[in-house]
Amino acid sequence: MKFNKLMPNVRTTRNSPITERSAIMSKAGFTIPFLLISVFVFGVFSSEAAVSVQCPYTIIDDEGNTTNPNVICKHITGGDGFATMADGRVIYTFGFSDVTNQLPLDQVLVTAELDARLSAPVIKVKEGQEFYLTLTTLPMSMRPDLFDPHTVHWHGFPNAATVFDGEPMASIAINPNASLTYYYQVPGPGTYMYHCHVEATEHMQMGMLGNLYVTPLQDGQLLNGFTQFAYSDGDGSTGYTKDYPIQITSIDPKFHDANLNVQPLPFAAMEDTYPLINGRGYPETINPSNTLGASPENNFKPSQNLPSLIEAKEGDVILLRISSLATVRFYTLISPSLPMKVVGKDAMLLRGTTGHNLYYETNSVTIGGGQSADVIIDTSVIGDITTPQRFFLYTSNLNELSNDQEDFGGMMTEIVVSPL
Amino acid sequence: MITIKKNNILEVLVILALVFIFGSQQADAKIYGISGLTFNLRAMKGNIIADDGKSIFMWGFANAAGVRTRFQYPGPTLIVNQGQSVTVNLTNTLPVPVSIVFPGQTNVNAAGGVPGLLTREAPPGGSVSYTFMASEPGTYIYYSGTRPELQVEMGMLGALIVRPTAVTTPAGFAGCAYNHVDSCYHREYLYLLSDLDHTIHDLVLLNKIADVDNSTAYPVYWFINGRSGLDSVAKNFAPYLPYQPYSALARMHPSEKVLVRLIGGVRDLHPQHMHGNQHYVIARDGRILKGPAGEDLSEGLNTTTVSPGQTTDALFTWTGENIGWDVYGTALHTCNGIPVNDPSPGSPGFDPVTKEYCPDHGKPFPVALPDQNDLTYGIFYSGSPYMGSPGALPPGEGGLNPTAGLFFMWHSHNEKELTTNNIFPGGMMTWASVEHPSVILPAE
Repeated sequence: MKFNKLMPNVRTTRNSPITERSAIMSKAGFTIPFLLISVFVFGVFSSEAAVSVQCPYTIIDDEGNTTNPNVICKHITGGDGFATMADGRVIYTFGFSDVTNQLPLDQVLVTAELDARLSAPVIKVKEGQEFYLTLTTLPMSMRPDLFDPHTVHWHGFPNAATVFDGEPMASIAINPNASLTYYYQVPGPGTYMYHCHVEATEHMQMGMLGNLYVTPLQDGQLLNGFTQFAYSDGDGSTGYTKDYPIQITSIDPKFHDANLNVQPLPFAAMEDTYPLINGRGYPETINPSNTLGASPENNFKPSQNLPSLIEAKEGDVILLRISSLATVRFYTLISPSLPMKVVGKDAMLLRGTTGHNLYYETNSVTIGGGQSADVIIDTSVIGDITTPQRFFLYTSNLNELSNDQEDFGGMMTEIVVSPL
Repeated sequence: MITIKKNNILEVLVILALVFIFGSQQADAKIYGISGLTFNLRAMKGNIIADDGKSIFMWGFANAAGVRTRFQYPGPTLIVNQGQSVTVNLTNTLPVPVSIVFPGQTNVNAAGGVPGLLTREAPPGGSVSYTFMASEPGTYIYYSGTRPELQVEMGMLGALIVRPTAVTTPAGFAGCAYNHVDSCYHREYLYLLSDLDHTIHDLVLLNKIADVDNSTAYPVYWFINGRSGLDSVAKNFAPYLPYQPYSALARMHPSEKVLVRLIGGVRDLHPQHMHGNQHYVIARDGRILKGPAGEDLSEGLNTTTVSPGQTTDALFTWTGENIGWDVYGTALHTCNGIPVNDPSPGSPGFDPVTKEYCPDHGKPFPVALPDQNDLTYGIFYSGSPYMGSPGALPPGEGGLNPTAGLFFMWHSHNEKELTTNNIFPGGMMTWASVEHPSVILPAE
């Protein structure tokens, strides 16, 4: 359709795919009245766009806590940026950035420019809180021809309302230079995830992916020797000392390069060659710095600020919040030396309705896109130690232990247990 | 000017056609198939249309019992009762031998035809006959046992449903999947997932079967019930999809238990994600997930791995519990008898008729939505966040949800599979809609 040639990469839901493929619509004569309507609808003449945050209480810190402990308000942006892979290659990305509590609001459009984070800022909220999440869409700095909207899809949210579910074909998406505030009554505890769902294949491959988890009301009670739990289990059986989000994603560099170079996007040929944990490939996964990813391309913004190094003291019980937002394939993660106890999947406690705990011990978890697992590692299994011990958590899809052509790297991280 | 006017009429006609397609209850809340004790299937060639417009050459099983035998993909869904002895007669009009295997069925015997590797086969122009005992209720797959790596790719697969006979369907429910009341449902839907490498089909069409190299198979088409992309939500037996009769649109009312029969076809695994709520996997490969003492071993998940050749039964229910605002809208309605504009509208529990979650009754929408010029609207957005109450939309927007249902995408979470031969959107996506109780959905 002629209209589409003006915006080569826009595959938004404005044009119903059914009508696009209709031979009737391909006639040029349709273009003129459609253009007029579209210009009006797309707001070329609009002056309504503005950054705005809705929160019923005053925000008191950069985490989004407010004067009401039961209400949390966060502000994130969706835009583009760059990340650096472990072999040094700089990759163009789309991503979220956290601008909670940043003022003045319009300044966010400047500070968050090229600040897309790989992986997206971790969202951690408490069961039962009211959560106002404002998403502001930035224009694409490297692609001024695109005006993609964005959404936030809280993956796994139970009993969702479509307007806040973030699936754009069934609801709404927010256009550049404007803000949409999502409202959630935070549901039951567990490991969820969030991502943009607009043109899902593209935006997710490009990196708009993040960890999201909910801590249980039970936290703070002393049960089974713990005060932190993966779930409100009632018996402390999911208690832990430290938790770590471990999100599996992967990147196809050809796809990202094509996007940067205003080329048609190779969906059919999508093949990910950079397997990542929390946005990094080994050995950067174990780099404890939270300011990696700065390069001249993104004006030296630290785009990859989530290490995956798991550190514990002997006897600690570690909770790994494992999730995958890979867009092409399943991955299996193995912990060959430290057994993992799976206590939850897809943010649901592994317990049948008849009350039986269905936890199981394993050395491997196989996770496809959209799946998550809560895995507990009890480091006391290694006994008493006098020097730090290094263990590995990595994909048993062994060819994925690589950073593209670099032979060793990829989807691996380490668990370092130190003596008391 | 004349050209523009003519196309305006065409625009109107297209919109009217869309309203006709999606307007009155066209997506039926059930699984269509053929029932009985004896089935006559014909292996034949045909074509399907992918949502990018490509016509793909196929082989498949057709129901040869009717007046006119029409090719279909996937093959007809066979529906039988537990304990029955089932006969399937297969005639073959393809230039290669064909057969059928029935994984999970008991006492599968073949008669006639010619010997084959997995089972007896119908030679080209010939026939073969199978009998089996449908001993266990559940969801099963059937497919060709002759060169399955080629023939299943070409389309020779279908669903087999065995109904339980030792359970009484409770009042208000439509049926049960297994001999246990925990498997009973109000509506059931079939989801047969498949992937397809069209270059293999092109070679077969050109009579170059010997050139097919499955080691380099690379699907770029993905289907649910034989339809890709948005074609999945067209109605059952949509006239413009004559060879792909089965819809994948799931419609339901709040609090209904919906049985989703997931079947993995062809060669790849798919992480099947259902927006809207978690679901419970209650059975795999035709066996209910219960322990020997009746312990509940069902899995609560939001993304289920559907593996090729494997079937998975899941129960999905949407109740709207704890949304925090009244999703039934601001128009006058009651919950537990209390009107929405009452000074104290909330009450515990769910309304017995509308199933509304009464603690949220009357609670206002919590945020101001942006100006419509700042929003991009989805085709299934009704114009308002409320179930059953459509809102205003700019011209040309939405329109495919006149009953203002809440639409939730059910799709493969390998997002690469949400494309049709390099085009997004497409592939393995469909929707489920939760409709206001006043919307009449066809009875099961």
